[in-house]
Order: sequence, then structure tokens, then C-alpha cells
Amino acid sequence: MARIGVFVCWCGSNIAGTVDVEKVREEAAKIPGVVSALDYKYMCSDPGQNSLRNIIKEKNLTGIVLAACSPHMHENTFRKAAAKEGLNPYFVEIANIREQVSWVHEDKERATAKAVDLMKMMVEKVKRDRPIEDVRVPLNKKALVIGGGIAGIQAALDIANGGVEVILVEKEPSIGGRMIQLDETFPTLDCSSCIMTPKMVEANQHPNIKLYTYSEVEDISGYIGNFKVKIKKKARSVVEKDCTGCGECWNACPMHKNVKSEFNVNLSERTAIYVPFPQAVPLVPVLDRSVCLHFKKGGKCQKCYDACGPKCINFDLQDEIIEETVGAIVASTGYDLMDTSMYGEYGYGKYKDVISGLQFERLLSASGPTEGVIKRPSDGKTPQTIVFVQCVGSRDPEKGVPYCSKVCCMYTAKHAKLFAHKVHGSQSYVFYIDIRSTSKGYEEFVRSTMEQDGAIYLRGRVSKIYEDEGKLIVKGADTLSGNQVEIAADMVVLATGVIPKKGSDKLAQMLGISYDKYGFFTESHPKLRPAESSTAGIFLAGMAQGPRDIPESVVSGSAAASKILGLFSKNEYEVEGTIAGVNEATCVACFYCQRVCAYNAISRKEIKDRSGKLVKVVANVNPGLCTGCGACVNACFSKSIDVKGFMDDQIYAEIKALAV
Amino acid sequence: MKTVINEQNRRNFAAQVESMLHDKLAKCYQCGKCSAGCPVNFEMDYTPNQIIKMTELGMEDKVLNSKTIWLCVSCNTCSTRCPKGFEVTGIMDVLREIAEKKGIVSKVEKEVQMFHEVFLDNVKSNGRIFELELVGKYKLKTRHLFRDMFLAPKMLEKGKLKMHGEKIADLNQIAKIFKDFE
Repeated sequence: MARIGVFVCWCGSNIAGTVDVEKVREEAAKIPGVVSALDYKYMCSDPGQNSLRNIIKEKNLTGIVLAACSPHMHENTFRKAAAKEGLNPYFVEIANIREQVSWVHEDKERATAKAVDLMKMMVEKVKRDRPIEDVRVPLNKKALVIGGGIAGIQAALDIANGGVEVILVEKEPSIGGRMIQLDETFPTLDCSSCIMTPKMVEANQHPNIKLYTYSEVEDISGYIGNFKVKIKKKARSVVEKDCTGCGECWNACPMHKNVKSEFNVNLSERTAIYVPFPQAVPLVPVLDRSVCLHFKKGGKCQKCYDACGPKCINFDLQDEIIEETVGAIVASTGYDLMDTSMYGEYGYGKYKDVISGLQFERLLSASGPTEGVIKRPSDGKTPQTIVFVQCVGSRDPEKGVPYCSKVCCMYTAKHAKLFAHKVHGSQSYVFYIDIRSTSKGYEEFVRSTMEQDGAIYLRGRVSKIYEDEGKLIVKGADTLSGNQVEIAADMVVLATGVIPKKGSDKLAQMLGISYDKYGFFTESHPKLRPAESSTAGIFLAGMAQGPRDIPESVVSGSAAASKILGLFSKNEYEVEGTIAGVNEATCVACFYCQRVCAYNAISRKEIKDRSGKLVKVVANVNPGLCTGCGACVNACFSKSIDVKGFMDDQIYAEIKALAV
Repeated sequence: MKTVINEQNRRNFAAQVESMLHDKLAKCYQCGKCSAGCPVNFEMDYTPNQIIKMTELGMEDKVLNSKTIWLCVSCNTCSTRCPKGFEVTGIMDVLREIAEKKGIVSKVEKEVQMFHEVFLDNVKSNGRIFELELVGKYKLKTRHLFRDMFLAPKMLEKGKLKMHGEKIADLNQIAKIFKDFE
């Protein structure tokens, strides 16, 4: 015989203000099987929990219903309290009379009636609860970091320093990401490569970090604690362990005028065999087979091979697939810039001297195409007047993206400042809509660009840029004075909006994590679980989640690392027991459940007799992946799949309670 | 109307204003607090913050021909409240001065300009203001002889209008100030 206790929480006036809690308590006491009914001001408080525990003991309760706030809030609190009294924690049910009643209704009488209904439903459910045990999943204590920018490197270093092995996979020939492309960093103006290269070197030399550059994650399967990863190591055509990085090969390559350098954002050329930049880690060149004469002209050219001292160039190297098993993953794939050539009015791609912010970084950089001297791409002359246009692509729901790219205000202020420092007597104009400078020292930085370095800020967008007698005529507005303005510039720098790295949506699908409509990975909770993805064991870092600057990327890398170290501090991972289970006797192996499962949690299982003969094939639920969403339950024709804690008889009992 | 920003002209004008103002135009971050509190803003063609921005952008003609610079009564509400400590009242003075030197006669605020002239003449000859003389000369100059006449009895009653003017002791000092300026 069921012995149920019902506890009605006031939540101060949150519930009691709209729901007659005493009435709910009285109604509860009338239900057969309810041996105790109580209302209390704050059930989640210590005295509230203590009274719950005392009554479990005194009345020897077999089930508990809390008419209180959402189970998202305190289900765990009450389950733990019940468990302390020896009750299976899954015998605790919550009737949500706050979010679903008091907060959304005004009429006290009807709200009370609804609260009573919800409470009754849960009483009927709890009568049919069965004990559920949490599932324990063993953990492979090894982590995979996808993307070797500052966020990924920070995550890898923190995990590795915690004594855990890390595999760091980077698509490009070198780690370093976007940060190594930057010149100086706001608001302190420390040189980006000076602070980035030590991290890159440390990652490369760390005994706990295994680095795969020029490699891509090809396939991922499995679940938290047990991810099977296939990494494609693209053929570099250079034997890494023998290469000294001397540079004889790329100096000998005849293809030195034809290929645009990706690292310098098309502002210079590179050879077919190349390192993207002098401080590349590892300092081992990559042979780009799509442009190499050896591959295009049937093996005739081998100048790099001839020049190579240790003869480490091997044209026959093939792509390699490496398989690894890891327990946790960090996705830190970074960002790209929007293609702004669709703004015909700005002439990007048409006028050589209209460039992107990242291109201007390369012009400023000592390792860039002009060795840090600011020169116009068109004629190599040093510009005297530069117009910076902010929000190109960002905050443009019509043609671009509606969100703010966050870093542009600051890097534009930095560009204007560095331009003033490098070209004396020069003048910069900045067109902006708002200036967003919210972190430590940022506002002061922007102000000093205006007040000390003389940048003129104009509040308004630019409407049109065209070329006239060697000048770029910029037509804009200054909405503060209400004037249309026209400026003749030598160069225009567009603060181009950021978008997720190309292919990050595909990676998200492979990982089974959710992403927003732009392709940024979404957090499990935007505020309280910012480092976790929607899938257990997969963590997020850096710009792959959305626009953020270097300090924030570093913080997010460290946050993901600390989550992983915390996870790995135990030997097993505990999963809630409310997951799907298959009745193998009735399953007809149609696998409709497999098709609807968003988490790839369902696989085929073969049942064999003692002699090894196949008896039948059934669906099987992987407890590490199943989230208990219930999609499979709906899809099952033979009613062979159920989510524990949400069995058919329980749901029917809830509905019946409502109908009476 | 479109304004073409000529870099050299912009710099020259901004530099001239800054050197006379002893303050930097870039200091202003366009919050608009000056305009928000200005008691004569409702009559102005450009708000005080717009005047500052336009000066920075070198829009010399618009600024020097504006009503605003002449309507400003130098009450200093703007400068007192400015969060950046910018000389808002000062810039109006400076711009009036430049306009005066350039011989720009304000089309709309001619009378304000006349008042300033009469006022300064009065100071020059007395070392201080002799109200009756000031009012008389101003009225003759503007030919608005009977405007505001009803105020005179009240002012007399309160002792605000003296029948005899007084000169300060050392008029040479005043002469020196005027000479230094010219």
C-alpha cells in the first residue's frame, strides 16, 4: 500500500500570493494513499528539508510529491534529501505550481484549482514509481581539443598541466589561429605574436600534449567518457621528424608568384611548399599539392627535394587516419570574416585599397607583407588619410548578420591609434554606430585614440565609397551634427563582421551538439553552463560560441579545461537513470527509434543463443548518449521502448487523475 | 546639405579654435548634457554639442553663421555640468570672436551682435556698465525705441536703473585690456 507525503511550498508569496496553498494541502489529504500533507513557507530551506526528512521517517513514506517550483530548480535538492532517509530518489515527484501556475495566472481561485490538479496528477504518478538506479559510465581520461587557436591552446595547456593527456587537432599547417595573425592587442598594445608564440611553443613541447597540425577530425562516435575519434592527418609531403625547418625547400620552389598567402589574407604570395609564417609551430613546411608543379606536371619538378638537406620531402606520402579514444572534447574552432564584397556600395574586392580589418592587421605586423610599414595595396604608397568603417556586415539584419561582432570597436580604435603612431601627421576617420568598449581599460583606450591620437569619430554609417583621381571618396553621415559628409581617403578599412568558421556546422552535426542559426555552438545554459555544449562530455571554447575577444577566449578555454579536469577527477561518470529502455521480447527491430534519435543513442543488438546462433535483432540504448527525451517512445510501433520514470501506466494515471 | 571635409581646412580651423580655447575638441564625447541643460537651446539652430562636433569636423561656414553662437548667454550651465570638463561656454566665445574678426555679420542675430558691441563700448568708456546709457545706445542702434519700455518703471523702482553713471577709478587698466586684445 502506497504511503504518500505531499508537501506544498509557498515560496514566500511567489506561490502563496496566487495559489491557496492551504486548499491544495487539504485536497491532497483527501486523496487515498496520502498519509501526510503539509504546507510550508520555503520547502527548499533547511527547516523545510528537515521536516520532509522527519516525515519520511515518521510516516514511513513510500513516495513524495512536492507542489513547488520547476523541477529544474530543486528536484535535485529534494531527491538528495529523500535519499538521505533511504528512499530511492526517483520516488520524488514535483508538481510545478510556480512557473506553470502562480507566475502565469492571476485568478486565485482558478489558479488554485489548477495547482490541485497538477498535485493530484503527481500523486497518481508517484504511486506507480519504480526504483531507478543511476547509470555509471567509465571514463577514458584523455581529452581532444579541436582547433589550435588561443582558446584551444589555453584549454589544452590547462588540461595537460592537470596531468591529463590531450590531443590537439589543428586544420592549418601551424597552430596559433587568428591571434597569431594580429599585430598588437588592445587595450595594452602588447604584440600579439610575442604573447602567443610562447603558448604555441609550450603546447608543442608539453609531454601531455599530442599535436596534429594540418589535420582534421573526420568522424566522432561514442559518448561521454568514451568517444571514438578518427583524425585525418593530411599528407604534408614532408617527413616531420627529419625536417629542420631550414627553408631551403621553399626558397627553391619556383611557384613564388602565383599563390595568395592565406595567412596574409591575400596581401602577399606564398610558394607551393611553405610555412604560413616564420614562427610556425611546428616549423615544418606543407606542400600544397593543388598548386605544386610536381603534382600538376607529372612529377617533373622536384626542386624542393633537390634543395632539401636531410631529404625529408616525400612526394608519395598519403593521408593518414589516426584513431583515438577520448573521454571529453573541447570544440574551439574559431571564426572567419564575412565576405563583404556583397556590399557593392563599399567596393571591397573592387577597389584594392578597400581592405578588411584583418588585412590591416597584416599591414601593421612586422611579419606581414610590408614588414610593418603601412602601404596601400594598390601602389605601395603610405596612406595619409584612412577611413575606418565599423559594423560592416554586423548589426545588419537585411544583408549581413543582426548580432554585434564585439571586437571591431576595439580593434578599430587600435588601428586608428597604431596608424597615428606609425604615420606622423596622418589622419584617421572612424564611422561608427555605437562604441562598445565594456571591458577593463577599454573605454579609456578608445578615448585616448580620440583625444591623444586625434582620430575623428563620426556617428553614422557610410553609404557609398567610390574611386576618384586616386582617392577613395567616402560618403557618410555625422548624425550628431546632422550633416552629410564626404571624405577623400587614401585607404578604407572595413571592420568586417565575424561568422563561425566554415564547416563548423558540419562538425557540430558530427559531434551531436546544437548550434544557432548562424552556426555558433550553443551553450547548455547561456549563463550558468557557458562552457558546456548540449551533449555531455563536449565542451566549448573561444569564438566558435560567438564573438568574443582574446581575454574572454582565454577564460573560456580555461573554463572548458576545468570542467574536463573536474569530470576526470572521478573514475566514472554518473548519468541520470531516467533513460530509455527496450523491451527485447516485443521489439521487432524496425529501428524507427534509431531514425528519430537525435543523440545517436540507439544501435542494433544481436541476441544469440548458446550455440551462437542469431535469435533476433533488437534495438539497444546506449546509456552514455541517451538523454531520456522520449522521441523513440513516440516512434515505436510495438510499444517496446519506454523512458524510465515516464512509463505508459504512469502517464495514463496522470491523465486519469485529471479527468476525474 | 553635403559637407566635403577638406583635411587641411579642417585642421586649420580646429587648431585655431583649440589654441584660442586652450582645450581639445576631441575631449567632447557627444553626450549632449550641455544641450540638455541649455536655457536658450530652444531658440538655437544647432545644439551646443552639434557646434562642438561641427567645429571638430571643420564646418567653419555653418558654425560661424549659426544663430547658436550669438544666442548663447554665457550662463555657464553647460560648462559647469560637463562630465568631461570641456569649455562649452568658452567655445561659443571663441567662435563669436572669430566671426567678429572675419567681419561675419550674423544675418539672423544681428541685434545680439549689436548688443555685444554696445556693451563693450560701454565697458570701454566707463570701466563698468551704465545701464541707462547701454539701453539708450542699443535702442538707437536697433531702432526699437519702444520695445520693452514697460520694464523701465519696474527697474527704476527696484533701483536697477541709475540716472547717473559712475566710472571706475583707473580707466587706464581697462584701456590696456582692450589694447592687449586688439
